[in-house]
Amino acid sequence: MNFITEGFKEALTLLMSFDKEVYTIMGLSIGLSLMSTFCSALLGIPFGIYLGLKTFKLKRAFTRFVYTAMSLPPVVVGLAVAIFFSRSGPLGTFGLMFTPTAMIIAQVILVTPIIMGIVFNASKEKGRAIYNVGKTLGANRLQILMLMITEMRVTILIAVVTGFGRAISEVGAVMIVGGNIKGHTRVMTTYIAMNNSMGNYGMAIAMGMVLLIISFIVNSILYHFTAGD
Amino acid sequence: MDIELTHVLKKYQNKVVVDIEKATFKSGKVYGVIGENGAGKTTLLKMIAGLEPYERGSIYYNGKCLEQTDLRRVTYLSQTPYMMQMSVYNNIAYPLKIRGFTDAQINSSVNAILDELQMDALANQMATQLSGGESQKVALARALVFNPEVLLLDEPTASIDQNTIKVIESTIAKRNREMHMTVITISHDRDQINRMCEEIVTMERGKSNVYSRHNHGE
Repeated sequence: MNFITEGFKEALTLLMSFDKEVYTIMGLSIGLSLMSTFCSALLGIPFGIYLGLKTFKLKRAFTRFVYTAMSLPPVVVGLAVAIFFSRSGPLGTFGLMFTPTAMIIAQVILVTPIIMGIVFNASKEKGRAIYNVGKTLGANRLQILMLMITEMRVTILIAVVTGFGRAISEVGAVMIVGGNIKGHTRVMTTYIAMNNSMGNYGMAIAMGMVLLIISFIVNSILYHFTAGD
Repeated sequence: MDIELTHVLKKYQNKVVVDIEKATFKSGKVYGVIGENGAGKTTLLKMIAGLEPYERGSIYYNGKCLEQTDLRRVTYLSQTPYMMQMSVYNNIAYPLKIRGFTDAQINSSVNAILDELQMDALANQMATQLSGGESQKVALARALVFNPEVLLLDEPTASIDQNTIKVIESTIAKRNREMHMTVITISHDRDQINRMCEEIVTMERGKSNVYSRHNHGE
């Protein structure tokens, strides 16, 4: 039991001492997650809205595909990205393996279906009613899209926050494609996994605490926007 | 605006829902569409509003086909209108905002229609929290505020109290009289059709038949 108390003490000391390595890892983690969530939102929100509105032959099959993609195993995504970007892979010439860019690509593949799936579901339910109101009041395509985003803003916010949560807490894919290189691709989750395996519980607990605090802040923002709904 | 349908065919999963050889809706007149449930009334209005595609035929607006027509002058009011998650004032202001009106113009037009429909007290309320009758009035105000040439109404007064029905009917009649607006309304209430409409369109299994009411105004 003593090592747990010691771990917490060490964690607090680390955080209070503003250790450069710790804060670099935190910055990279948050930066990568924000970037991948932003890219996924750019892809997932318009596509989710469009596909929710559109009637097409394979819509049921597509729905199943999107829902399956929402729970893609990160390690499998990491493996696929690694195969594509490894030196002998089809995209090996780009030299992206073990770089933050490869980590963002892996996270985008994981997060986009989550955002798209949630937005798609909302668009399927009430998108047609919003579209019809916009169209019958004289809105053009862009104005209708803006109206739909405004009307579904709470759902979209939930989708984006859920996506961010997935990105920042993900370890399998970023470990494979990033390689946990100190000062370059080391993020909070890979740092926790590494320190845990080395028995450095203080370091692991410190980073775990930071992850929990970030999760709390993100959920508080979400609650603030949805509470009045 | 005159509207003319020729050889229009609409199917849902191979079932014919609208099959109209020829029907004409003359500018400035008020038409009442009657028929049993599933006769194709709502689909007819949605096709005119450009909300429903159709398999065959053409709809002409002042002699021009859909592709050449600015449907911003045609509006459709559903039986259960969608209220945007904003205040009543902003719901009604929306069509003017997207048309680039100035704040002063918007303020004046919205206040005028709020007054006309006796809704001044509701201006700052959230539109999503209104009763059925209030929502219907807000939706009508939102549809009329930009002075459309064609107003398509899908049972605008179903399950609404008599006072609200009176206000809605008189507002539509006034706009029709003053702005020469074409009105096509669906209703199951024959008395209302007699009160409001000059022409009656009967729909039966997708087919339409238009005839005049000679006793209009009696």
